[in-house]
Amino acid sequence: MNVQTQNPALAAVGVAHAHHYPAKMPVVGNARLYRIVVIGLLALAVLTPVGLIIYQSFLTGPFFSPRAALGLDAYAYVFTDRNFYKALGTTAVFAFGMVAIAVPLGGLLAFLITRTDIRYKRLLEILVLVPMFISSIVLAFGYTVSVGPTGFLSLAMRDLIGIVPWNIYSLTGMIVIAGLSHVPHVHLYVSSAMRSLPSDLEEAARTSGANIWQVSRDVTLPMVLPSIVFAASLNVLLGFETFGIPLVLGDPNGIMVLTTYIYKLTTLFGTPTYQLMAVVAVVLLLITLPLVWMQRRLLRNARRYAALGGKGSRVATLKLGRNGQLVALGVIGLWLFVSVVLPIGGITVRAFVDAWGEGVNLLDQLTLANFARLTEVPSLVRGMINTVILSVVGGAVAVGIYLLVGLAGHRNHGLSNTVLDYIVLLPRALPGLVIGLAFFWVFLFVPFLTPLRPTLFSLFIAYVVVGLSYGLRLLQGTLIQVAPELEESARTTGATIGRTWRDIVIPIVRPGLAGAWALIMIIFLREYATGVYLMGAGTEVIGSLMVSLLTTGAMNTIAALALISIVLTGAGLALALRLGARIHD
Amino acid sequence: MMNSNIRYARQLASFTALVAVTLPLSPVLAQDAALIDAAKKEGTVSVYTSTDAEQSQKLQDAFTKKYGIAIAYNDVGTNGAYNQVISEAAAGQVTADVVWSSAMDLQMTLVKDGYAQEYASPEAANIPAWANYKNILFGTTVEPIGVIYNTKALTEDRLPKTYADMITFLKNNKTELQGKVATFDPEKSGSGFLHHSNDARQRKDFWDLAKAMGDDGAKIYSSSGGMKETVVSGENVIAINIIGSYALDWVKESPNLGVHFASDYTPAFSRLALVANNAPHPNAAKLFVDFLLSQEGQSALAEGGLPAVRKDATGGLNIDTLSKRVGGGLKPIAVDEGLLEYMEPTKRVQFLNDWKAALGR
Repeated sequence: MNVQTQNPALAAVGVAHAHHYPAKMPVVGNARLYRIVVIGLLALAVLTPVGLIIYQSFLTGPFFSPRAALGLDAYAYVFTDRNFYKALGTTAVFAFGMVAIAVPLGGLLAFLITRTDIRYKRLLEILVLVPMFISSIVLAFGYTVSVGPTGFLSLAMRDLIGIVPWNIYSLTGMIVIAGLSHVPHVHLYVSSAMRSLPSDLEEAARTSGANIWQVSRDVTLPMVLPSIVFAASLNVLLGFETFGIPLVLGDPNGIMVLTTYIYKLTTLFGTPTYQLMAVVAVVLLLITLPLVWMQRRLLRNARRYAALGGKGSRVATLKLGRNGQLVALGVIGLWLFVSVVLPIGGITVRAFVDAWGEGVNLLDQLTLANFARLTEVPSLVRGMINTVILSVVGGAVAVGIYLLVGLAGHRNHGLSNTVLDYIVLLPRALPGLVIGLAFFWVFLFVPFLTPLRPTLFSLFIAYVVVGLSYGLRLLQGTLIQVAPELEESARTTGATIGRTWRDIVIPIVRPGLAGAWALIMIIFLREYATGVYLMGAGTEVIGSLMVSLLTTGAMNTIAALALISIVLTGAGLALALRLGARIHD
Repeated sequence: MMNSNIRYARQLASFTALVAVTLPLSPVLAQDAALIDAAKKEGTVSVYTSTDAEQSQKLQDAFTKKYGIAIAYNDVGTNGAYNQVISEAAAGQVTADVVWSSAMDLQMTLVKDGYAQEYASPEAANIPAWANYKNILFGTTVEPIGVIYNTKALTEDRLPKTYADMITFLKNNKTELQGKVATFDPEKSGSGFLHHSNDARQRKDFWDLAKAMGDDGAKIYSSSGGMKETVVSGENVIAINIIGSYALDWVKESPNLGVHFASDYTPAFSRLALVANNAPHPNAAKLFVDFLLSQEGQSALAEGGLPAVRKDATGGLNIDTLSKRVGGGLKPIAVDEGLLEYMEPTKRVQFLNDWKAALGR
């Protein structure tokens, strides 16, 4: 995924003609040791919890129990359980359905924003990413309040036409909601591919009389097809991992996916059956590996495609025209309404009332009590403070770590880079709940780590690993903007690679780092499942508090916390804008 | 001679009477003072619990105010509490002092597997016998299991009076209730499992009720609060087997919401407390359990909306006033080994399969 945003010319040369130019980096003076150490440490941080999960799956009890023995009982149970196959089937339908919605829409958005002269471009670039920054659990709650069976919009609709024409508590409803909220993930990848496309081919098509849709279909689309397939495969992965939406919307009617199946395994047998949870996690890992492999192959092709255009030239935009502008902005507006305004509106309403629904006048219910109550409970107040510390300070440190890793992978085409590509996506494939549990064990059982467990540090490390795929991509995107000539000239004049990084690369990317920091901050802010097992007295965080409160169903508190987390996210986004985050490349 | 003998006998009698009165009393008092001292030296107590901080804040504040001992309050949920206790014990890194959880069956499992230590709390005499399991596991609350309904959709007089009536009610109003009945999901919620399986243990007609809910297309949820949300909003008309003590608080604020208990049978669960084995702050842990069971602590719980197991608790519902409120049919789930019946995997799976069959899933 890292090379997706590479300068096409360089990338093409790097792979297709590695033996011509530039000459292979010399082993000595190429920071080989540094690369190996950093990537090795990262592998350790990722593979320890992942390895623990795999080991656990081959046991008959909790790995720490004296009664646990090696055995395949857990696999036998899961693979003969009718519910597992049902959940697997539903998950597949869910994931592919989601992709079927997210990919065309995300591709269209990317095309409109990068290749046309659509208005309010700067604002749209940020707005289209917003759904990505809301945790899916908050998203799903918001929808129940606005478009649930008795949501305010549903009731208004029923007054208008007599029926509520939608049902979000269905597989279709879940797919539509998940599909719309994953549009940014597609947009992010496809738009960066489109940005690096030279526009001369499109211009040629346009001058020979093709209209804008013909251009997009016959010229742009084929050129970015690899990145679209890539985004699709990534979203299949995200679909397999989604938890919040199926939990809130699928559960009441018994629609189960793999992640909610895992969740059920915590209570199904009375005491948690870790080995069964681990087996399902391993299944999810196994689904990931071929996807990563496919992505790597695709990327190789992507570079060839991109290279066809020769050296990147100035990107000229296609003119939409007045009607085109209206249609395009209309489509984006409608999508934003459904995937941002509806859920956030729902949460906002819920946070300021105690009751809602049929026959409830919302205005009668207006109250600030939900927030007043938050301030009375020290653990909730601490949760808010901790969340801010973890996102702001932790986010900054995480950027530093991602930068170190990014440098280790920078212009590196060796085996260690292959390793990097695989380990980066592993944590993304595992449900947050499971990876959080694994980290809890690591901090409990690895002797020199135990003092860190009751501190925010344990959460921070888990967050860094979980946020790895997104964070590293951001950093790699920034690093790759440094033209190779600059580094080459430094090296030619005798600078070591360390000196080159210190004096050339890092100063150039510094503005990009600030933007990356703001975005990582938002990712840490929305995290919820990872901290569920790790947090304790004094290390509460908003997201995990919400999950914990969910088990008792304290909706007033959950809604207030959710709104606070959205407001914090908004502040983070505003900061990102001010710092000039280069989200796309 | 005779006289002196009698006098001697009298003296002896009064002396033994005095001893009988003071002996059991004075060591307790002495132990109390020593315990408080030792607990204060420890300075902190770490509680693993499923009770939201909001509900127990009054209790925590009262304890810390009285003894100056800080509470590290870990609201980690029923499964979280169980998981952390067994994991920490295995790693030799015990940080839990007191485990206080509503998952009665998991708490009993912890006791059976040796994760708890015996403690003869001087306050234990003041709670009902069913709430004290061998001085090792103590019931601290009594929380009725009941029904909530949407008052716009159902009027109070239509609600069934008894458990058996409820089955008939569900059967007779199939069209009206179709898809609008909510209940706990025993697969995803430990509380839900406890409520349903306790009914199955106590009542032969439980499966008729389950079948009737299934025929009404009942939807299943993993929390009482989640069900309340849907009943208030009108998405569901009635929710069965929810935590009634929460509901008693909710109806005060929510429009459209009513709470109801069957007059002949209202089971009630209890939040159970135990002192963890190898607790790093054993004295503070014992003192906290004492406080949980004391009149003061019980009143603080009642004030926070968790009905007290002691009769003399004030500030909210206690076991006596609660019993009256629910119509006299209060049947607390006893803290005994019966709780382990459904922890046996084959029995549990059988129960869940029967449940799913009854619900038509």
